[in-house]
Amino acid sequence: AAEPGSRPSAPRSFAQPWRPPTRRDPSRAAVAPALRYEPVTERGAEREAAVAEECEEEAVCAIMCASVKYNIRGPALIPRMKIKHRIYYITLFSVVLLGLIATGVFQFWPHSIESSSDWSVEKRSVRDVPVVRLPADSPIPERGDLSCRMHTCFDVYRCGFNPKNKIKVFIYSLKKYVDDSGVPVSNTISREYNELLTAISDSDYYTDDITRACLFVPSIDVLNQNTLRIKETAQALAQLSRWDRGTNHLLFNMLPGGPPDYNTALDVPRDRALLAGGGFSTWTYRQGYDVSIPVYSPLSAEVDLPEKGPGPRRYFLLSSQMALHPEYREELGALQAKHGESVLVLDKCTNLSEDVLSVRKRCHEHQVFDYPQVLQEATFCVVLRGARLGQAVLSDVLRAGCVPVVIADSYILPFSEVLDWKRASVVVPEEKMADVYSILQSIPQRQIEEMQRQARWFWEAYFQSIKAIALATLQIINDRIYPYAAISYEEWNDPPTVKWGSVSNPLFLPLIPPQSQGFTAIVLTYDRVESLFRVITEVSKVPSLSKLLVVWNNQNKSPPEESLWPKIRVPLKVVRTAENKLSNRFFPYDEIETEAVLAIDDDIIMLTSDELQFGYEVWREFPDRLVGYPGRLHLWDHEMSKWKYESEWTNEVSMVLTGAAFYHKYFNYLYTYKMPGDIKNWVDAHMNCEDIAMNFLVANVTDCHLVKVTPRKKFKCPECTAIDGLSLDQTHMVERSECINKFASVFGTMPLKVVEHRADPVLYKDDFPEKLKSFPNIGSL
Amino acid sequence: MQSCRRKSLWLALLASWLLGLLGILPLLRLAVPTGPRAGAPQGWPRWLDAELLQSFLQPGALPEDVPQLPRVPRGGSCDWGACFDTSKCRSGGFKVFVSPVAGPVSETQHKILASFEGSRYHTVSPTEACLHLLSLDAPAGACSPVPPTWNGGQNHLVLRLHPASCSGTFQLGQAMVAEASPTVDTFRPGFDVALPLLPEAHPVRGGAPGQLRQHSPHPGAALLALAEERGWRVAGTDSSACPWDGHCEQDHGPEQTHPGAALPNATFCLIPGRRADALRFLQALQAGCVPVLLSPRWELPFSEVIDWTKAAIVADERLPLQVLAALREMPPTRVLALRQQTQFLWDTYFSSVEKVIRTTLEIIQDRILGASAHPSLLWNSPPGALLALPAFSTSPRDFPFYHLQQGSRPAGRFSALIWVGAAGQPPLKLIQAVAGSQHCAQILVLWSNDKPPPPSWPETAVPLLVIEGHRKVSDRFLPYSAISTDAILSLDAHSSLSTSEVDFAFVVWQSFPERMVGFLTWSHFWDEAQGRWGYTAERANEFSMVLTSAAFYHRYYHTLFTHSLPTALRRLAEAAPPCVDVLMNFLVAAATKLPPIKVPYRRRHEDASPPRVPGDLGPAARDCIDRVAAGFGHMPLVSSRLRLDPVLFKDPVSVLRKKYRGLEKP
Repeated sequence: AAEPGSRPSAPRSFAQPWRPPTRRDPSRAAVAPALRYEPVTERGAEREAAVAEECEEEAVCAIMCASVKYNIRGPALIPRMKIKHRIYYITLFSVVLLGLIATGVFQFWPHSIESSSDWSVEKRSVRDVPVVRLPADSPIPERGDLSCRMHTCFDVYRCGFNPKNKIKVFIYSLKKYVDDSGVPVSNTISREYNELLTAISDSDYYTDDITRACLFVPSIDVLNQNTLRIKETAQALAQLSRWDRGTNHLLFNMLPGGPPDYNTALDVPRDRALLAGGGFSTWTYRQGYDVSIPVYSPLSAEVDLPEKGPGPRRYFLLSSQMALHPEYREELGALQAKHGESVLVLDKCTNLSEDVLSVRKRCHEHQVFDYPQVLQEATFCVVLRGARLGQAVLSDVLRAGCVPVVIADSYILPFSEVLDWKRASVVVPEEKMADVYSILQSIPQRQIEEMQRQARWFWEAYFQSIKAIALATLQIINDRIYPYAAISYEEWNDPPTVKWGSVSNPLFLPLIPPQSQGFTAIVLTYDRVESLFRVITEVSKVPSLSKLLVVWNNQNKSPPEESLWPKIRVPLKVVRTAENKLSNRFFPYDEIETEAVLAIDDDIIMLTSDELQFGYEVWREFPDRLVGYPGRLHLWDHEMSKWKYESEWTNEVSMVLTGAAFYHKYFNYLYTYKMPGDIKNWVDAHMNCEDIAMNFLVANVTDCHLVKVTPRKKFKCPECTAIDGLSLDQTHMVERSECINKFASVFGTMPLKVVEHRADPVLYKDDFPEKLKSFPNIGSL
Repeated sequence: MQSCRRKSLWLALLASWLLGLLGILPLLRLAVPTGPRAGAPQGWPRWLDAELLQSFLQPGALPEDVPQLPRVPRGGSCDWGACFDTSKCRSGGFKVFVSPVAGPVSETQHKILASFEGSRYHTVSPTEACLHLLSLDAPAGACSPVPPTWNGGQNHLVLRLHPASCSGTFQLGQAMVAEASPTVDTFRPGFDVALPLLPEAHPVRGGAPGQLRQHSPHPGAALLALAEERGWRVAGTDSSACPWDGHCEQDHGPEQTHPGAALPNATFCLIPGRRADALRFLQALQAGCVPVLLSPRWELPFSEVIDWTKAAIVADERLPLQVLAALREMPPTRVLALRQQTQFLWDTYFSSVEKVIRTTLEIIQDRILGASAHPSLLWNSPPGALLALPAFSTSPRDFPFYHLQQGSRPAGRFSALIWVGAAGQPPLKLIQAVAGSQHCAQILVLWSNDKPPPPSWPETAVPLLVIEGHRKVSDRFLPYSAISTDAILSLDAHSSLSTSEVDFAFVVWQSFPERMVGFLTWSHFWDEAQGRWGYTAERANEFSMVLTSAAFYHRYYHTLFTHSLPTALRRLAEAAPPCVDVLMNFLVAAATKLPPIKVPYRRRHEDASPPRVPGDLGPAARDCIDRVAAGFGHMPLVSSRLRLDPVLFKDPVSVLRKKYRGLEKP
């Protein structure tokens, strides 16, 4: 019936607050306005003033000419005074107009002439930074302590209590370090490290107050160990103002070690400092302390590589690395010989002319391939260990949507603390290199495509730029310090398309609550005392009722005296509300002690005790759903192109009225505090549709349908009288339809689910003695 | 003249106005700072020559590296790639040999061995085995010597369920260590396995279910319980910020100390980081009390596969105030999720010794499988990795359990699988009724009869395929590759159903793809007089099993039935055919923890031979349920009291308005 109800995979309005890690910092947003409000230099102002004056002259001329004209023609009908007035008005008008134009010009003048575009940040040359001379005997930190863990080597007191659960990062200012003889210790700073520090400085983590910082990032560039002098760099680190044995200091290193033995971690002694390193092995990586980061590939970043979707590609397996050990190359050669066309092993080109950039070319015999474009031609790409474990090619491979086959024993993959590499890569032990082809062949095509998609997503989110790498690293450290606010596995690993489509049911545990717990009945009432008392009496006959809560929504009248209330076997509580609002029925009152809540109107007296008890039993089997009695349906009106509310006898239901419905009390919390948009206020203002809102809410959060219990009965409610034909209350139906359309637009989707079944007792209407049935009194009118 | 003067006056006024306007504006903009321009220069400077900076990676430098061959692992240090030989596991499958123990067998070792015998990984031949299991849980002084197949420890798993006394007797070499709560310093991630610290009296099978009785915390329940030397101390919700050590002076919260064995009744359980407190961790898990670990010095159990951030909070012991504040302010949604996850993990991986060991083996098998191992979702959401087999598929979408998380839904058709047993006739009428359903994709006839199948079958709108069976009852639950849909309608030759019934039941199944949807039911009961489980086919107000002679269920359960049932239980089914139904229902109930679903079934007069009733099938069938329950170690069946009917079922409206009219006939 409701044909367009099939949900598109649109983002859910509030169930999943998805936070893409790469788009986390508002720096981009902050930069844009900064450009717009640039100061106008004096020269610019002068020019504008000149332009304005020109305009003015022209305008004056026009006025003068006009008056001259009039004078020549001499229309005697117009007195002099009038002309003067006219001039006066025209002048005034032009003044205002010119003023407006001038303002506009000021606002929107392209400020291209100005030289300094940014006042907020200092503009200097790297060559002008202060020079620091390191005495030869200045202290050297101890070597890295392999037993360091967050709770032993990290000083959390510096992070303190922080309502935003964000660490504060301080960056030391840039200095140039020279030794005693004035020889620089290292390159002052590399382009990438500058980018990295800029990214941190632009992020939410940054603070310029050294006393409030929790993490310190030295500006001493140790990205590449080969460009620095180890001992002197260590001395430079040790003299940092807050060094304190390296506590809470974070170093970024992508190329560790040096010839001949290529250590897998930075050789610079660094004491307790945390290391974000590319190329850790299991021997050097301090689990839960260091962060494994990718090796950035600056050369490929310059190449424009359009995304290529997953699917079968020309080559099954490709090796594109240049510096490989001869033994590995031999094995790869054997693979190629065995499997022919589907395996391609590339090497550096030897016969290229000088002017060709050789790092972007790869050769196989005499065939020349463009790198990294060739990676897009392969399904699997080998990432072998080179001299170092971390290889920049991994980043290129992921970018090309090629599934990396990592053959590097003991390598700690980038961000392995949070990223699930099983979903995006195949790790093969070096010893099994000969079997690589058969191992890969056993992976089903569908899984390969999934891995290709995942590989590309990893690159987009965490490998793409230096900024992405820096922010992911800080996020990991942040999550360790504020574990209760940490980002979940799904947020790290699920690509956006999966995140939008997925629903995590808040009550996912298949748990059937014990019957003994019972339910709390909540009766919303205004002033129908007599009917209310009848409802109370009826409901109190249900065996599983454990408490009755009357929500007294009338502020002008006090509830009847205690002695007048019906005497029932369970506690009865009356809650007086401050305002007559429909939402009061769904407030999570402290008085609700059971998980099951029965919402019931003060005029529903026709439900039998058997029916209510059975409804509770059904709720126990479906605690995450709305379990209700009268059912309703939403339909798509093709003529009007909008949703319509339906209360006829239909084969389907998609809503239950909360005039009588069981649900989990957690939904009260959601209704009161997490209702999307202005729905709650809308309901209170219209004094209608709170039940439809609840149906929307529950269906959206759980993505499950409701359960209607027991056959249809005649209910005393506006629509029911409509069916009786006594008075066709058209406006009510129109209003309810409006509610559905309004809520659907707020939720951005139609969460309601249509079902064709209802729940009855097992033996309902069966040929079976009534006496032996558990719930005999069901469905009688 | 006057006018001229006035004119020039006006002009002058105008010009001054304009100039003033133009002059004031920039002044105003200078005076009123806008946006980020305020304040002194801050942040990392934007270098003028940033473009000229050199890259950290000089082109050309890279290829010059002369790579070295990987070094052999240094003494003692091992990792998966270097120390485990997977070649044997690939060729012969994952077979585990339990190294025999010389001398007296300790209680724990006995438990482990017992739980192993029936396992599908178990092998008696050490040469066939890919993994050798060596248990070191022996009483002091009775440590076993190095077994003959030791081989430097390669492909050996040394199991230490309890902090063992046998640690120092021999070099572990290249063996993996599965140890209870190993210290983080010696634990080798990806090679060793961290086990939970089990109490002495931990049950071998089944095990106590989680104590959580309701999803959300009870409003009156305490916020915190603290692990102490001798038990749990419960601190009230309003207790002050220093609940440790009992040294708080103004701790007004209601306080009580439980004896050691009792489980804490609180929302969060604070557990100090000492290794000895690891025992408390399991207690908290069982109680549904979210463990808050304060800088644990031991590795969390099965941390390789279990995402503990979903069930526990690892906090820093140095920031107690911050932890308390964070716990108090934690949104109800998160608390709800954490509590449920503790229960799921306890019930799935920790409640018995058998589960702990199976989980250990499953982890090692996952390492061998590499790319076709369990995805993380299968480990961390119900029903868990022991019941969701990657042999079926590695894509969670194919399973019946993860449609919500994946945003997918089951396919819209079903395959009818009709089993023709020994005395069966070709079920022509049934085929017509099923083929009449608009949702039917194909009909498979499983011919398990001594007679050859008839050469011609009735013309149907859907393809019909005949599969020859092996005359075994469990044939009907083999994962046939011919089954192309998610849903299977399992039928017997003598079942009789109408098209309406099939249509409606399938629509219901689509709403509950993980459950069985059936027409005829059995219910189980505890027979007080004989002290054992029994079951009955009599019509009653509740039921807990549906007959597979007419039921919808997911294709995955065929794989689960074939691959996960212990051999002993499979043999039981062969001996007493009705047991297959019981087994299947047990299996589905163990996976879903939910009852099956009954849909309306019109009893027919021609039902001359009513479906198999357990009473007249001999003693083997009668105590089948008791033996199956013993094999499972617990009773997974759950009773239901409801039946799902069409919305207008037997309502007083015209039959013409009803969609499933076939169900209405008396």
